[in-house]
Formats: sequence, structure tokens, C-alpha cells
Amino acid sequence: MSVEMIAILASWGIATLRSATPLIFATLGETLVQRVGIINLGTEGEMLLGACVGFAVGVATGNPWLGLMAGALAGAVLSLLHAGLVLGAGANQIGSGLAVWMIALGATSYFGRALVGQQVTPLPSLGSDWSDGIPLVGTILSQMTMAAPMALAAVVFAAWWLNQTRPGLHWKAVGESALIAAENGIRPIRVRVTAIMVGGLLAGLGGAILSVDYTQTWAQEMTKGRGLVAVGLVIVARWKPALVLPVCLLFGLTEVATLRLQSAGFELSPHLLGTAPYLVVLLVLVGSHVVARRASAMPADLKAVFQ
Amino acid sequence: MPESLVQFAGVTRRFGDLIAVNNASLDIRAGEVLAILGENGAGKSTLMKMLYGLYPASEGQILLDGAPAKISGPADAMRNGIGMVFQHFSLLPALSVRDNLLLSWPKTPFWKSHRNARTDDVLTSLAELAPQIDPERIVSSLSVGEQQLVELCKVLNINARLVILDEPTSVLTPAEATRLHGFIKQLAGRGVAVALITHKLADVEACADRIVVMRRGSVVDIAERGARSMAETVALMMGQSVDRTLRPPPAFGRTVPRLVLENVSAQRPDMSLQGISLSIAAGEIVGVAGVAGNGQALLAEAVAGVEPLTAGDILLDGVSIARHTPFEAVSTPLGYIPEQPRDNGVVATMSLARNLALRDLAQGKRATGRHANLLERFNVNPPDPAKLAGTLSGGNVQKLVIARELGIQRDAILACYPTMGLDLAAIEMVYAAMFAQAASGAAVLWISEDLDDLLAGSHRIAVMREGRLVALLDNDGTLSREAVGALMTGMTETEAAA
Repeated sequence: MSVEMIAILASWGIATLRSATPLIFATLGETLVQRVGIINLGTEGEMLLGACVGFAVGVATGNPWLGLMAGALAGAVLSLLHAGLVLGAGANQIGSGLAVWMIALGATSYFGRALVGQQVTPLPSLGSDWSDGIPLVGTILSQMTMAAPMALAAVVFAAWWLNQTRPGLHWKAVGESALIAAENGIRPIRVRVTAIMVGGLLAGLGGAILSVDYTQTWAQEMTKGRGLVAVGLVIVARWKPALVLPVCLLFGLTEVATLRLQSAGFELSPHLLGTAPYLVVLLVLVGSHVVARRASAMPADLKAVFQ
Repeated sequence: MPESLVQFAGVTRRFGDLIAVNNASLDIRAGEVLAILGENGAGKSTLMKMLYGLYPASEGQILLDGAPAKISGPADAMRNGIGMVFQHFSLLPALSVRDNLLLSWPKTPFWKSHRNARTDDVLTSLAELAPQIDPERIVSSLSVGEQQLVELCKVLNINARLVILDEPTSVLTPAEATRLHGFIKQLAGRGVAVALITHKLADVEACADRIVVMRRGSVVDIAERGARSMAETVALMMGQSVDRTLRPPPAFGRTVPRLVLENVSAQRPDMSLQGISLSIAAGEIVGVAGVAGNGQALLAEAVAGVEPLTAGDILLDGVSIARHTPFEAVSTPLGYIPEQPRDNGVVATMSLARNLALRDLAQGKRATGRHANLLERFNVNPPDPAKLAGTLSGGNVQKLVIARELGIQRDAILACYPTMGLDLAAIEMVYAAMFAQAASGAAVLWISEDLDDLLAGSHRIAVMREGRLVALLDNDGTLSREAVGALMTGMTETEAAA
């Protein structure tokens, strides 16, 4: 393989990873929420609020790290609204999630107007003087920030947490049956509130990475449905944290491919081309259902939401 | 005399007006298998659930190691070494056996990986009890019998000194039941006390050291193994003859077959009906006797068109009324009083008036007011047609269903335990209504656990055992409850006569 080829592949890989990073955080968060038997359509709103607050704090302080932290916290606080509506007031989960989304959409559109056109200090690149000397590795590192490695670490940690620890087992048990979990001395409400907040935290962080790191701008409705896509990708990833990574990367890759096809002058409406990532994911979803037809991996208590 | 682990001293439990357990006294000793035998609703589960901390006793005392037990919930019971395996398992089907065991184990460490040696102990009892079960298997892939073993391991993991098993063999195949009997004896051999709640004589025969018989909330007998014959035990279970003036209408002189069962066969995971043939004439009452769980429920659902037949047919006046495929919609023309009418006979969220008119509603007709007087006639309390069925008490739900099914003249009646949960006055009323139907020409198929009532009120008695019709007897006044009881437990007619 020629050096040129490797360079092109590396550039595609980095673009894919960078495009998928916000989505990985949001999908991972939603996976954890759904594993405890709750569906949160408010992920879209939490991402949007995270993007807005994160960008605002990043601009105001000049510190992108503070921006990311603020965005994550904003997502977690907003998710508490969903937790309160669903677990406290017994509201319908779908309705509550949509409400959270709409509230965030309205609030960020209103308060975000001042942010349009502002500049944010980006996250530092991973490249350094000594790594620049190494061919390829240097180029790759110089195009990357800490956001992508953080996403990878989060996936590994979530998979370990859920499958190898006692609290993770408790989370899974609550998602399968809150009743039986309670019989075993677990407090389902506490577990669910915690999971919803962790989900909100990750969605907010994903949103903040989108505005502070990936696009480095703020625009109204800038998440463009990524939070809802995350809810769908959870199903494609079969509610497994480890599968969140390949699924989100596939989505990111198709997105990068369509962008590059467009700039290469490919003769197709950009609107139609924009649907390609969704079509690919849909195909994977259908394919995975055909392959794993006998067992649905859906947490049993989550099914109750749709009955 | 061995030490008593648990002692019940005059324990009573009331649910509203109903006395579920009445002044029961018995003891459970370490290392013994104590069978608690009784029909459905005899109070045996309630008695054990009091020990497990699910209900407090209304009166009396439960002593643990000779001192009053302070058990206010299952967690307390487990801390005191009392474990209970219920009919409905508390396993999570989507998780592995190991994860299910870890979930209820008090000593599960934070890091629960296989590589953590501190988690090894959780599998010890599984390795002893059921080494063939791979702990990594998902619970939903196990058979019901294997799931029960896992459930038992959960209980043993809390170092139980007393294991309560609630109807453990009702979900098992005969081979699995035999194996469970072996495990039970093994447990007792290790010094664990086992309380075995059952209505099956096979369980008692296989492994009980002592047998407690309960009937209508009271302990009627406690005997060592072998001290009573099977027929005596059944007689105790079914109760002494009570003087009840039941008189069925005289059978019609000419017999016209009305409800005909031809080689009826049906299949359910835990039960199969094998070729039941029976012809019931107009005006005839055929009672079905049998120890609970021998196929009566399946027979009723097959005749009512709920369960599809695998073979055979059911004819009413020569017309088939059976369901042959699961996709067929069958609206039964029978007056059908189902088992557990709250679940099977009413729509809880509909008014009494609409519940009385369910068949009209199913056919798209409007509910009319013509059913209103049924509520008074059958003493449904309150007789308010606008009230929701779900708000009625159990006995009144039963009366509501009976009002709908026996309120108009039917060609045939299928009654399953029609008097369950009713007081004496209501029982008389139900029988009067049923006999009036027969007197006007209805064929009646009547399933009951009350042998005395069956003997007093039916023209013929069909005895069911293990999904088969083992005898069809003319009730000409010479039948004895002992003879029928013997047939129910599996002796042949000649053996029973001897």
C-alpha cells in the first residue's frame, strides 16, 4: 500500500472519529438509561443545552475544558426534569422526553442568539514537537484532540461497569424487572435517577464537544437530530455499550463519505445524500434483527413503555 | 423428640371477613421434611407466608428456636435462615445463572468478575445441587425444573436452616419432580428443615417425614409418615361429610345426548388431555372429581373453546363448538363459569351492566337494561349496574359471573368450582340456579373439589387423573367418598372396593 493511500485512509479515519465523537457520548448515555428500563427522547434537548451552555462558558472563560464541564453539567441538570416527570409524577416517558427536548430547543434558540458568530478557544491538539517528527503519527495526532480518546475510554468504562461490577448488575436487574430488583434489596428509583443523570451528563458532554471542539461555532438547532439518532442507535447497538462504538463509527463514516462526495462534485441533491447515514444504519438494524432473530436484547422493563 | 425449629401456636390470619388460617398449631423440626397438604384455598400458603414475614398473624404466636420470632419481612426471614421458593420464580430471565445468584447473595463484592476469587462461593450450592447447569447460561434458556433448582440455590446461598417450597412440583415434569424429591431428602439429610406445601399426594408419598393436613384454614391432622393410608389422607383433605341438603332434579327418563365430548385431546406445556369421551344427556348433571392439577382446568378451557383441541371434537346438540386452531374465534354458547372469575370471567374496568351484557357487546349490540334485575336475583352486592366490576369483592365477582351465565336458560352449563369463595347462603343459591337449569333440560358439566357436594348433587361422577378420565360412575347412592377418593389417587376400581 502506498504512503499516499495510508495517508488518505488515516484522514478518513480521523474525520470519522471526530464526527462520531459527540454521537458516541450521547448514544452511550442513552444506552445506560435504557438499560435501567427508561427511554429518554430528551437526549436531543440535553445535547443541545450542553452545546449551548458549553459554548457560552467556553467563550466567556476562554477555557474549552470549563466549557465541556459546564455543558455536561447542564445536560445532567436538564435530565433531572425527565427523571422528575417520569419517576416522580408518573408521566409518560415519550411525552416527557419530547417536553424536555422542546424546552431545550426553545431556551437555546432564545439565549443562544448572542452566541452566534462568537469565537471559542479550541481544545489543544494532541500533536507535540517531538511527535511532529514521526511521519503519519505526527499528522494524525496533530489533527486530534482529547475528545475522541475520552469517548473511547468512556465506552470501555461503561462496558466494564455494566458487566463486571455489582452496581452494574443492579442496573441491569432494574432494567429487567424493577419489582424483582426491589425484592433483592435494590432501590429501583435511586438506580434510575442515577442512570438518567449519567445519561444526561454524557449527552451534555457530547453536545459541548460538538460546539466547542468539532464545529467550534454555535448555531441554532445545531445538533440536527443527533440526540434522536442516538436513541435509535441504541437499538442498533442492541443495548450493549461495547457495540456503541462500531455503530457510531459506521454512522460517522457514512456522514464523512457523503460530505466528501458532495465536495467532490457528486451529482445528487445534498438533501438526499444527507439521508445516507440513516439509510445505512437502518440496513444494519434490519440485518442485525434478521441475524439475531430469536433473542431480543431489549431490557424487559423497557418493553413496558411501549405497551 | 427432636428440637423444634419453628412452632406455630394458635396462629390465626384474617383477610377482612375471610379467615384464611384458623387457630393453627404445629411445629417444624430440623432435618425433617414436613408436608403441608391441602386443597386450594386451605390456608397452607398463607400459613407459611406468615412465617416468611409476608403477612403478620392476626392472633397467636410464631416461635423461632423457642423464642417469639421477630420477622417483619422476607429480609428478616432470610437473616434468620428461612428461605422460601415461590410458585412464581424471582429470577431475571435475561441474565445468566451466575448473575442471578450474585444478585441475591449478600456477600457479592464490588468487582464481580469471574477472576475475582471472592465470587467463587456463590456457585458452591449450584455445583452440589445441579452440576449440569452451566452458570454462564442465560436463565431463559433453562427448563422450568432447572430454573427451580437455581431458585433453590438462591435460598441455600443465604445459609437457610428452613426451606419453604410452595407447590414446587406443580410446574415440573414427572421426571423433574422425582429429581426434586431426591434433592429435598438430601437437604433434610444435611439437617435443613424443609416445609413442602403441596396438594399432590405423590409429593407426600415420595419424601415427607410428617404430614400436616389443612382444610378450610384449620390444621385437621398431623401424622407421622405411614400412619395413615392414602385414602384416609384424601378423606381428611376433602373434609368430613357435612350435612347439606343438596338434591339434584330427577334425571330425565329418556336420555337424549346433548353435550358430547368425543376423544377430546389438548396440550399445554404442563398438562395434556388424552382422549376424553363423555356424553351428557339433557337434564343430566355430571360432576368431575379429581385432585387439583389433574387436567380439570384444561378440560374446562377446551370445552369452553378457550384452548384449541389437538384431536377430537365437542358437540352441542350435534353441532361442533370446539376450537380447532388457535386462530379460530369461538364464542361459547355454554353457560360458562370459569376458574378464577376475576381474571377469566369479567372485565374489571367495565361496569356491572356491561359485564352482564358481554356477549351482546362482543356481537356489536348495545348493552340493554334487561339484565338489571339479575344483580338483585343473584345478590350481587352492591346491586349498582354502573359500578365497575373491579371494585367488587371476590365473592361478588363470582356471583356476577354466575348471574350472567345462569341468569338465562342455557342448553348446557360448564361450571368450574362455582361455589369457591362463597358463603353458605350463596352456595345454596348457586346450586339452586344450576339445578333449575338442569330441570329445564340443560346438560351440566360440573367441576368441583368438594367431593361431598359432587356426591350429593350429580347424576354421574367422572374421575380425572393425570389428564385422563379414569372412571365414570353412576351416582346411585351407593358410591362412597372413600371409593371415589381412592380412584382420584390412582387405585383401580377393584382395588378401591377391596
